Amino acid sequence: MSEDAILSLKGLVIGYDLPLVKPITLDVHAGEIIAILGPSGIGKTTLIRTIAGLVRPLDGTFHLHVGRRGSLGYIPQRLGLVRHATVAHNVSLGARLSVGWSRTMFKDRKERTFEAIRTLGIEEKASEPVRRLSGGQQRRVATARTLAQRPRLMLADEFLGELDQTNVDIVLSAVHELVEEGTAVIMVEHHEDNAKDFATRIWLIKDNHLHDYSLEEWLDIDESSWREQHLGEEE
Amino acid sequence: MKYRLFGIVFILFFMAWQTLDGLVEGDWGRLEGGLSNLVVFFEESMWPPNWKVLEARSYPVCEQDIEFFCSVGYLGMMETLKIAFVSTILGFVGAISLSSLAARNLMPLYISLPVRIFLSAVRSLPSLIWAILFVIVIGFGPLSGVLAMTFYTVGYLGKLQYEVFEGMPNDPLEAGRAMGLSRPSIVMNIVIPENSNHLLSQLMFMFEYNVRHGTVIGIVGAGGIGYYINTYLKFLQYDKVFALLILIFIVVVLIDLLSLAVRSFVNEEGDVRKPTWLNMLIQARKRRSKSGDVA
Repeated sequence: MSEDAILSLKGLVIGYDLPLVKPITLDVHAGEIIAILGPSGIGKTTLIRTIAGLVRPLDGTFHLHVGRRGSLGYIPQRLGLVRHATVAHNVSLGARLSVGWSRTMFKDRKERTFEAIRTLGIEEKASEPVRRLSGGQQRRVATARTLAQRPRLMLADEFLGELDQTNVDIVLSAVHELVEEGTAVIMVEHHEDNAKDFATRIWLIKDNHLHDYSLEEWLDIDESSWREQHLGEEE
Repeated sequence: MKYRLFGIVFILFFMAWQTLDGLVEGDWGRLEGGLSNLVVFFEESMWPPNWKVLEARSYPVCEQDIEFFCSVGYLGMMETLKIAFVSTILGFVGAISLSSLAARNLMPLYISLPVRIFLSAVRSLPSLIWAILFVIVIGFGPLSGVLAMTFYTVGYLGKLQYEVFEGMPNDPLEAGRAMGLSRPSIVMNIVIPENSNHLLSQLMFMFEYNVRHGTVIGIVGAGGIGYYINTYLKFLQYDKVFALLILIFIVVVLIDLLSLAVRSFVNEEGDVRKPTWLNMLIQARKRRSKSGDVA
């Protein structure tokens, strides 16, 4: 394990009944943005859910070096928002974890909540129930929740999918704000182009193996031969 | 699929009919003349309703400006409403604490199972039996009624609530768990807001139920309008009983309308248009939506 590792995977085997990927041993460092690529059903979401503590690993261990409570932000595929509650309530769930007990706790939570809401440009929707927002706006709410949480590790499952470019830019600038503060980000991504735009590291899951590339290594791979070799039916 | 469903309904209906036939041991003759008996009873004893129940009682002397506020109907109904209100609120708070412990998606089996068994035990005694128990323990009066209804509400609402919690989408719960929210925080900030529509609906249903059953528990001495109904029944004053039943019916309808108004703030339909009192009464919106004219 290197000094600034946030997450260490040691011989981690993921899957529900049968292993999906061969044992994974990796470190994730502060400030990294990792995109997980690979064909559908290969185990990308299972890997994220295992790291989030929602699925038991079949073997091996993973260790979050920054503690568990509040240091892990998670945006599932369906966003995990409380649909009948307001935008402000949803975002405050993140702030609740990042603001410790103090006399000014409630004021601080409120400030952090509205700071995140402003950053994502949804201040005029703050008092509306989430169910009334569009898909893009809901993704912004989920991002604001994570931004207010200030986690050390952010996990997101395909949350850029179906977003228009304006929303992608807004969401990614918020993610970069977190990364500048030392947060590591692991995102499942379906579009290789998106991944190349924002990631600093690529994890490709293919043929039951997780291949770890830096962005430079990834860009050096000849695209046509890479697609044939790795993504197969995906493209 | 449609025919299969029809077949299943037919078989169930046939089984119910056979069971009923077994229960009455084939003696259907008792039904003969039943309807005419009912008509005679209604015409001679109940009709017209005696609205004296809405006038001031002769004793104690009425000190109110408006006589209605000293009437049997008003005083009895107000006491029933108070018993129902207090027991619904107390029962709701008790039920929500227990149901969040009983839901399988929120708690491990070793916690949820004993709580479920406890809720079943509380629910298995009808409110009338609870009322008799509390009348024995603490005597006649509204406090016995409140305690009886509260216990029954906990058992009944508790089951409805944990079933709703178990049916909620999993992703908000998973997000809360992965983020590190504590279990009480997940219940307070995710589970309750996400199910607010169902919870409000159940709360209003339970209030209505408690108003209706408040009349029954009054009969065993636990206070409310039931006490007066019981008195009139004993003196064979069925016209007064009928007037009080109409009063109960009106209150139940009003509670139902109130429920619709309250729930419109949290349900999806409310996003389209908040219902007005008028279209709640005449269902105008339903007709408009059928013709595709929903704003």
